[in-house]
Amino acid sequence: MNAAYQFVTGPLAWAAWGIFLLGSAYRLISMYQLAKAKDPTAIAYMSWHFSLRSIINWLIPFNALGWRKSPAMTIATFAFHACLFLTPIFLVAHVLLWDQAFGVSYATIPDGAADIMTLVVIAACLYFAGRRLVQPEVRYITTPQDWLALIIVLAPFLTGFLAYHQAIDYDAMIILHVVAGEIMLAAIPFTRLSHMVFAVFTRAYMGSEFGGVRHARDW
Amino acid sequence: MKRTLPLLLSAALILAFAQAAMSQQDIKSLAPQAFGKLTRPAAQFNHEQHNEKAGLTDCVVCHHGGADGKIDKSASTEGTPCADCHKVKAEGKNTSLMNAYHKQCIGCHKAKGKGPLACGQCHKR
Repeated sequence: MNAAYQFVTGPLAWAAWGIFLLGSAYRLISMYQLAKAKDPTAIAYMSWHFSLRSIINWLIPFNALGWRKSPAMTIATFAFHACLFLTPIFLVAHVLLWDQAFGVSYATIPDGAADIMTLVVIAACLYFAGRRLVQPEVRYITTPQDWLALIIVLAPFLTGFLAYHQAIDYDAMIILHVVAGEIMLAAIPFTRLSHMVFAVFTRAYMGSEFGGVRHARDW
Repeated sequence: MKRTLPLLLSAALILAFAQAAMSQQDIKSLAPQAFGKLTRPAAQFNHEQHNEKAGLTDCVVCHHGGADGKIDKSASTEGTPCADCHKVKAEGKNTSLMNAYHKQCIGCHKAKGKGPLACGQCHKR
């Protein structure tokens, strides 16, 4: 148990963070080079004003037409993404690990709130899965990659919830939880989760084209 | 009458030792009052069982002395509550009370390759 725990929280954690950070940098650089080679006009039309205008307008729930068209999805996705980021970053147990490893400490959220936020993430994952199965227009464009991304994100929250409540086998669950989190980090640059690093640029591209070329809103 | 005094003395001695041993045996978990309301369930720690398992006879291994954030392994401080030096909110160069427990326990368990490391292994529900 000790050797396994020390391995997953030591070398494996360094590897996961390394793959996540270097992989994300690699994907961003190679995507920029691809755009420069294949679509230089798009880069020339990129504008801070139209980019930020699009990003900000899409960040407000029910502001964009796309959000208003599917209210349930809008609520689910905003709640999901907020809890997905806030819970692991400000969880007491995680902040303590930063403190123990590097002496870095910062604000935390109460465990009770984190528990509910974890359930929100799990519930939203189930909603996304149901949507992919039931809604024909979503089902039609769903690929195995989408399922993979969903499972990779669900795993650390499900195992984290079970480990926190010390359900089933804690010793096994905590190792599973750490590994699941590391798989998620390492998978970000190379799966559909890469929208974490690309989303702002996708939005900026659309905003710039709609603003600068079509002279229209894109929200 | 000649035998009563030594008998009484030895009885007093036995009682004194028994009391000292009893008070240590009583320790089943670490929940100093200084913490107030606990965030997690108190860390499970049976003083006697732990020291027997770990083969610890020297108190100073855990009950260290020191000042200004420096640990002094030659000055034993058994009997002094941890919270006397390590405050809940770190004061001066001394690490905080929670950090003191976490560093002391997890640090040794890591070094020895034995004993709990993950949160829920001590903070059992």
